[in-house]
Amino acid sequence: MGLLAAGIGAGIVALGAGIGIGMIGKGATESIARQPEASGDIRGAMILTAAFIEGVALLGAVICILLALGIGQG
Amino acid sequence: MIQTLRRVFLTLLFLSVSTSNTFAAEEKEGGSPLDVMGTVADHDYFNFFSIKIPLPRLMFVEDAEGNTTFEFFSSTYSAAESDMFDEVDHALVPSNGAHIILDLSITSHLVYFWFGMGLAVWFTIAMSRRYQKGVGRDVEPKGTLQNIFEVLFVFIRDDVARGNIDDHKADKYMPYLFTMFMGIAFMNLFGLLPWAATATADLTVTATLAVMTFVITQFSGTKDYWGHIFWYPGVPTWVRAILTPVEILGVFTKPFALAIRLFANMLSGKIMIIAILGLIFIFAELFGTVGAYGISVVSVTLTVVLYALKVFVGLLQAYIFTLLSAVFIGMAAEDHHHDEEHYNAEHVA
Repeated sequence: MGLLAAGIGAGIVALGAGIGIGMIGKGATESIARQPEASGDIRGAMILTAAFIEGVALLGAVICILLALGIGQG
Repeated sequence: MIQTLRRVFLTLLFLSVSTSNTFAAEEKEGGSPLDVMGTVADHDYFNFFSIKIPLPRLMFVEDAEGNTTFEFFSSTYSAAESDMFDEVDHALVPSNGAHIILDLSITSHLVYFWFGMGLAVWFTIAMSRRYQKGVGRDVEPKGTLQNIFEVLFVFIRDDVARGNIDDHKADKYMPYLFTMFMGIAFMNLFGLLPWAATATADLTVTATLAVMTFVITQFSGTKDYWGHIFWYPGVPTWVRAILTPVEILGVFTKPFALAIRLFANMLSGKIMIIAILGLIFIFAELFGTVGAYGISVVSVTLTVVLYALKVFVGLLQAYIFTLLSAVFIGMAAEDHHHDEEHYNAEHVA
């Protein structure tokens, strides 16, 4: 049961991270297209925000690993 | 250009094929032919080109009467030989009803942590000696290493430190940020060697680094910073009932997220490489030698691509750790935000 939960959880985590970072990418490329001079600042903000979202996604992935290894059982 | 790319690709291909032999030398459990978590876990020996060098064990032991002693053994083997400990399942269990209070043994992750940080510190000190002699100040910098050092240092100083912390305080935090960046980058890249262990793929190591950032952030906090956490100015009072617990929680979750982000990125990369190369051995068990040769074409190609990705991810995660540390320190050490509010309030009334 733990393995099933870990698998479904990992899939949902990847889905959430993909959607979140995709939306950042959309906003960033549209902003750069509107004002190419600000591309340096926009790139910095994009990387920073993507790092935050990836941190949360990997937190979920770590919990899935714990479930798959069955650490909390017994 | 094409010639260089071809040579680089063939070298990487050759290296990845020759390194899969190293994995074959690992111990195989009775169940599966591949021990993934055992390879990434911490070991009490140092793996040097498949030669295992045992590492010393230091621990505080309290025996049955309540006396605490400090024991030092030069390896797990000699600890098991003495009558204080027995070896059960590769772990040391003290005999005669004693407890291990604090296990300060030197493990392979710790050795690689020392390698990474030591290399960063040595590199910086060696370069600084050159600057003191005037090379790079009065004359232009000499040699590839000094130029690379200058690029990295100016990048961290201008974009990361001065971009996020106020200008008059940024240079105070430069030593910490630069050492953190170089240390984490070296540790991540050392872990790519096939016999080596990634020091940052251990939650205790990344937690140590995050605790250092946490301590520096809190000690550089101005009065405005603490005021913003406990009593946020400019919002109605009932909102503060929600905002204050959230802000207090945020003080602790930010370094926690730093640790987890670095740890999970490095660990997942290492596990992917082990699993994909281990497919060769699993297929060898299931389908015989022909299956192993067939899958090795796919496995090795995928591993080469994954190695390139992991080099990029290693450097990027080092940069992100440093950048977020600088952002947190900058938010804590910020001080002229408030004066503008008071100026407007006084002049309107």
